[in-house]
Amino acid sequence: MAREMVAPLHETRAWVEPEPERRESLVVRGLSKVFGFEQVLDNVSFSIGEGESLVLLGPSGSGKSTTLRLIAGLETPDRGEIFMRDRQIEHLRARERNVGVIFQNYALFPRMTVAENIGFGLRIRRVKKKKRREVVDRLLDLTGLADQRDKYPSQISGGQQQRVAIARALAYEPELLLFDESFSALDPQTRVGLRREIRALLKKLRVPALFITHDQQEAMELGDQIAILNRGRLEQVGTPDEVYNDPQTEFVATFLGAANVVEGCWRDGFIALDCEQCLAAPRPMPHQVMERVKMVFRPEDISLGAPTGLVETPYHLGRGQVIDVSFAGASESLMIKLLPRGYTGQLSNAQCQTSSDNSCNLVIKVVRTKWEARKLRLAPGALVSVGLRSYKILRG
Amino acid sequence: MAQGKTAAFPRQRDNRADLTRPIGIGFVLVAMMPLVILPLASIFYYGLGFGQGITFGFTQGPLHFWNALTGPAALFSLKLSLTTSSVATLCNVIFGLIAAYVMSKYDFKGSSALMIIISLPTAIPTAVAGFALLLLWGRTGLLGQYLEPTDYQIMYTTAAIILANIFVTFPLAFGVIKPALDNLDTSYEDAAETMGASRWQAFRFVVLPSLRGAIITGALLTFARSIGEFGSTIMVSGNLKMQTQTAPLYIYTKFNAGDVEGANAIAAVLAVISFAIFSLIIFTRKRLEK
Repeated sequence: MAREMVAPLHETRAWVEPEPERRESLVVRGLSKVFGFEQVLDNVSFSIGEGESLVLLGPSGSGKSTTLRLIAGLETPDRGEIFMRDRQIEHLRARERNVGVIFQNYALFPRMTVAENIGFGLRIRRVKKKKRREVVDRLLDLTGLADQRDKYPSQISGGQQQRVAIARALAYEPELLLFDESFSALDPQTRVGLRREIRALLKKLRVPALFITHDQQEAMELGDQIAILNRGRLEQVGTPDEVYNDPQTEFVATFLGAANVVEGCWRDGFIALDCEQCLAAPRPMPHQVMERVKMVFRPEDISLGAPTGLVETPYHLGRGQVIDVSFAGASESLMIKLLPRGYTGQLSNAQCQTSSDNSCNLVIKVVRTKWEARKLRLAPGALVSVGLRSYKILRG
Repeated sequence: MAQGKTAAFPRQRDNRADLTRPIGIGFVLVAMMPLVILPLASIFYYGLGFGQGITFGFTQGPLHFWNALTGPAALFSLKLSLTTSSVATLCNVIFGLIAAYVMSKYDFKGSSALMIIISLPTAIPTAVAGFALLLLWGRTGLLGQYLEPTDYQIMYTTAAIILANIFVTFPLAFGVIKPALDNLDTSYEDAAETMGASRWQAFRFVVLPSLRGAIITGALLTFARSIGEFGSTIMVSGNLKMQTQTAPLYIYTKFNAGDVEGANAIAAVLAVISFAIFSLIIFTRKRLEK
């Protein structure tokens, strides 16, 4: 108990302690798996609340597919526990777990019609033909596939195949739905439409779901919670807002959209960057004095002003020179080279290991809205003052 | 001028393409004539009586063809060939299916050695295969010596013909089913299992229907190969008339005895059966393996 009280805030909280009124539909605790000599999963823990969806986000090889296969029962974990509702399931066979899986290629049975595919789970459960037909018809209506019922999977489009896969998984009322990169095979337009549709459907049916993806846009759109996996370890779990705006590790910060990461040194309420820019720390930091830190801020967190004027943002990063400007319709993105500025304070300190040469070459990415861009037009070569609306400090 | 040339150029190419087509097809047909088509055609030519008086002097028309075909020994040999081939086909398809499943699902020590052994029988001369069976099941054979006191024997019975058929067609069905199973995505079985199916149900309802084309093709290949089997059969069957004389043995025996017409009638039937089977194979390939 006492340990938890003093546990530093910035440390990854691997397992979110359930609040008393929140009921968990899936709890994964300390899941580990080794394939050969490779630790594919290392002590992964998370949970999904009743009717919630969680997205496991990570690059390929991060262990997210293995996690899904472990929960589905298609692999057995080396260590760890899996609970569904109040059932401990990690020792059960796949067919005893009552989960619905939507596979990456949908894995629709090629020799069965759409209706037969949807009814398969009920047929296995020896549900009477009449009742089976009722359920299949209801699901065909729900997914808008009523006119496709007697077609074979090869005769329908990718988006329709995915609906069949979902209907098929819903037919036997699973306690959890697992989506294995289910959108990657679809063209972008279908993908966006289907994502929205599925999210609405899941909320309506209140079925908890676990999605797996490497697409951060998809993760933010689909998840109530996002869990970021990197090389078998869970980096952070949180709402899309939390993981985007309050990343706990550099990996999370850079994987979820563009981020500038600048190394520096923290001391006495100031950050000394390696190029000797500095600014006030936003709040008392839990770090030790003179610690190496990384400063993380997103391109849209930066505000550019005239080189002589005062910046209106809370923090000041220094002066910079525009290297490149590119127009992207709704926004404009710029590359800014930060210019060294001799700092006269007592921060140039050997202990801090700040590189003292002024020839630093720090380039940051900035995104401005159309209206910001109109207010202060910038071309390559222009000098600007660089302000910062918010930033995040990570241990180096 | 330049314009004329550019216009003429594609036409010239078209002309050349038009020429290669008939030449190519013509070559194939001409080459096949003496090698395949004419030998087959003569079976029907003489069998149906068109060659009267030209050769052998026996051919006497369709009625005699029919009589030769419906003689008891001829009918028996056809029936025996059909039944032994069917049994052998059934055995090899079932074995091939199980072996293909095991070999494509599990990786074990010596699995590649096993692959070679399974595939071996087609490479062995059929006379050698028959001889090997005799050495195993004959009166003094490795296993046959234990059968000797029981008064039951395998050699020179229908069982021997079936064993010979199984041996020489052993890898055919396996050879067709295994690649089909290798190409089948394992996620189908995974999906079936997550939906509540047992291993057997997943196999029965999902894997098996997907292998339908391969199974039918494998069965037809095995059947076609085994209905014409001669070398091993003549060694292990004893060629006893109305007992162990299969259709190819009947043809051989009749021909040796100078009864060309009797041989010809059965030959024509076997040729038709083979033709039908291979038409079926091509037909099922087109229909089922899409």
